[in-house]
Amino acid sequence: MSATATAVDIVSALRSVAGDVQSAGPELSIDEIRPDAIVIPRSEDEVAKVLRFSAENGLALIPAGGMTKQGIGGVPDRADLVLSLRHLNKVHHYDPGDLTISVGAGMTLAGLQQVLAEHRLFLPLDPMLPGQATIGGVLAANAGGPLKSGYGGAREFCIGIGFATVDGKRAKGGGRVVKNVAGYDMMKLMIGSLGTLGVITAANFKVYPLPRQTATFQCEFKTAIEAAEFGRKVWASSLGSRLMCLEIISPRAQEYLNDGWDPRDPDHFSPAAPVKHHTAWTVSLRANGSDAVLGRFSKDLGGAISEELSGETEAAWWRWVSDFEVKLAHRHQNAMVIRVSVPQSQVADALSAAEKTAIEDNFVCSAVGRLPAGSLVVGLAPLAVDPPSAMQFANMASALRGRLSRDASAVVLRCPTEAKRHFDVWGTSPTDLGLMRAIRKTMDPGRVLNRGRFIV
Amino acid sequence: MFGFGLPAKIKRIVGKEAVLDRPEDLMLYEYDAGINRSMPEVVCFPRTTEQVSRILKLSHERGVPVVPRGAGTGLSGGSVPRKKGIVIGLARMNSILEIDLANERATVQPGVVNLELSKAVEKHGYHFAPDPSSQKACTIGGNVAENSGGPHTLAYGVTVNHVTGLEVVLPDGRVVEFGGKSLDAAGLDLTGFFVGSEGTLGIATGITVKLTRLPESVATLLGIFNSVEDAANTVVALTSAGITPSALELLDGWMLRTVEQALHAGYPMDAGAVLLIELEGISEAVEEDAEAVRLICLRMGAREVQRAKDENERQRLWMGRKQAFGAVGRLSPSYYTQDGVIPRTKIPQTLRKIEEIGKRYGLQIGNVFHAGDGNLHPLILFDVRDPEQTRQTLEIGREILEYCLSVGGSITGEHGVGMEKLSMMPSMFTDDDIEVMTRLHDVFNPGALLNPLKVLPSARSCREAYNPGHPSLGESK
Repeated sequence: MSATATAVDIVSALRSVAGDVQSAGPELSIDEIRPDAIVIPRSEDEVAKVLRFSAENGLALIPAGGMTKQGIGGVPDRADLVLSLRHLNKVHHYDPGDLTISVGAGMTLAGLQQVLAEHRLFLPLDPMLPGQATIGGVLAANAGGPLKSGYGGAREFCIGIGFATVDGKRAKGGGRVVKNVAGYDMMKLMIGSLGTLGVITAANFKVYPLPRQTATFQCEFKTAIEAAEFGRKVWASSLGSRLMCLEIISPRAQEYLNDGWDPRDPDHFSPAAPVKHHTAWTVSLRANGSDAVLGRFSKDLGGAISEELSGETEAAWWRWVSDFEVKLAHRHQNAMVIRVSVPQSQVADALSAAEKTAIEDNFVCSAVGRLPAGSLVVGLAPLAVDPPSAMQFANMASALRGRLSRDASAVVLRCPTEAKRHFDVWGTSPTDLGLMRAIRKTMDPGRVLNRGRFIV
Repeated sequence: MFGFGLPAKIKRIVGKEAVLDRPEDLMLYEYDAGINRSMPEVVCFPRTTEQVSRILKLSHERGVPVVPRGAGTGLSGGSVPRKKGIVIGLARMNSILEIDLANERATVQPGVVNLELSKAVEKHGYHFAPDPSSQKACTIGGNVAENSGGPHTLAYGVTVNHVTGLEVVLPDGRVVEFGGKSLDAAGLDLTGFFVGSEGTLGIATGITVKLTRLPESVATLLGIFNSVEDAANTVVALTSAGITPSALELLDGWMLRTVEQALHAGYPMDAGAVLLIELEGISEAVEEDAEAVRLICLRMGAREVQRAKDENERQRLWMGRKQAFGAVGRLSPSYYTQDGVIPRTKIPQTLRKIEEIGKRYGLQIGNVFHAGDGNLHPLILFDVRDPEQTRQTLEIGREILEYCLSVGGSITGEHGVGMEKLSMMPSMFTDDDIEVMTRLHDVFNPGALLNPLKVLPSARSCREAYNPGHPSLGESK
């Protein structure tokens, strides 16, 4: 049987299981692996049926939302189907007085924020590309943004989760209330599991009142060490309790934090778009409160403040910080992005390690990071000397990991496919890998979900 | 069930003085602070991870059930040895291993008492935020097992929000590590999954927690209402106004009169309900919020709003809340506390329902609870010596929980399922939900020897067969 015939058979057989099945065009590729078909279930039951169908027929399936984070993980061993959650985009339950909401996994984050904003509420989750990224994808990838400093990650406010398993079951964990210890905490297990244990179909969140007023204070420093020290001092002071974001930004990252420039490779440098050359490390503090509270910031921070942002300028600034990875990748197609996670006292060391390693391995390093959370996004653009070799990326990742402490992790979120084949994008984890594999195996014995990408 | 010589073997592991096997000693370990009982055959008190591991290996080899126990303050029978066997008391593993202020972390052994950790870091301006009412006695290992809450978790979150890393001994004796000091280790969040698993997946022998800075300023207010309805509506009004108190507790009229008679906390005798509201943070924000809270309470029908002028007054207002259960103990030979959760907006109708249920059975029910997060603690007064009343009390508990579920709530907010609410699990979760959880249970605890017959009604522990193999572990791919 030819590959084409198989694909046709799959599509026709799938049509009897789920309504909306489309042949995948040549433009759909995940790390250069081309699936045969896209199936777009109209209900959670259909998701479960597609999963069972896939398991029974030995298919490999990739769950998908807005396709913004499909670069994460190893190169798939195989991909027969893409399962799009885009039809599951409804609000299931919402009572603003309870400060909770339940939505389908295919709803975009921006869509959810819009619903909440009508009652002056919000979900403190600000990963890149909120207009495309879906709730399911954000949870599966455990994506976040600058708000992680003040509010923590999705694990702090995802209070319930619905998912479908490869044996065709619909299951859930948690509930619709903000405090709940009944049964195992399936939310924690599913968040960050990259769609390898089941497919997230719905999620319930605890939401927060939208701050009435915020302001952002920019403070500049000569070195990463001074910047990190200052940031941590503010965090540990009384001001810390009013901080929504506490970001450390490398000088070079500033070049990506704006709108309006044409995408360009270093090869296509346009002198018409002058780049303001930043030399300072920036600590960006976003505070929430009344005039009196913000006044206290001005008073306590005093001369350290180089600029104060509010209103639309402030909102745009934080959108840019969230979208740092996208902007970098837009400018440098071959960029590698690493999420470095360290205890907060090691932030400056980790940033120095990244810069030093980048120089040795012919990369240009830029970084933004949530200082108290110790969560850094390190961008690495290969210097355009020659076409970059795969080993250059592998060496960069492994040399950086070698310089970080035992408490740290460095996960490659984005990297050219060719290079990915030469090293482990996940790196090591302190958590027992045998146990993680056993969980993966008990939930997906036939390796239907995201085969080869995570916990292999 | 015991193989010959097992207590002797355990004595060889932990030392003679760390093992109890006389019936009069074992009796102390047949219950927790809840209503369930079952006596162990031996109790031991290891001091090291290695000893815990060796005991679990022994249990694994001999097929003997094991139950971990902290201070025994649990309310759902989580540490009661349902199938007898060994109780591992973790009280002697009570060292604070590391305080890392630079990273706002502490690493502790499971037997460290909750309040002791806060006391140890207080001088540096920090505390451990989860504060269950039993915090003077309960252990952090127990907090991890139960995912404990407390009044101040409204703003700070429950235990799982404060645990970043664990050292765990699995039921076969293997020692593994989950997470660490940083937040996002690569791979699955097994730390988060483990917290709240009620001692059914492994025994935590090392716990890395976040330390939270102490607030610059605290304001404690008491809103006095003529009706419980007005107080409950005020809860919704406060949160809708964007105010997040660090604690928001409600005592109904019966409860506050009982407390006042016992403790003289200064609560009004003729009110319908009081709200105890605490605000914490930077002084500018606390002052503004305190004024906003006062105005909202008055707008919602409060007849008076008091504010603690100093720490003494604050302690007095809190004393009534914290010792409410003790006050009830003066009145009634026994009481039974439930732990249902409801969406905040459903508080008024749920309190009406509870009153109606109490009247129908002719038993007094008092309410003192975490109103801010909808976590009810109805206290049912009964006489445990009267079997009919005891039966009715359990029925009332079940009816209340079923009502909580019917309005979109949960059967437990912080006390855990344990053995007490095992039979309620199918009312909240489908067979498929429970089957998936059971599969995960079996990955960690395939023989169901560790804390059997808890949390999951369909867990393998409900079947008597014991298979010593670990089919799901050890091999990769």
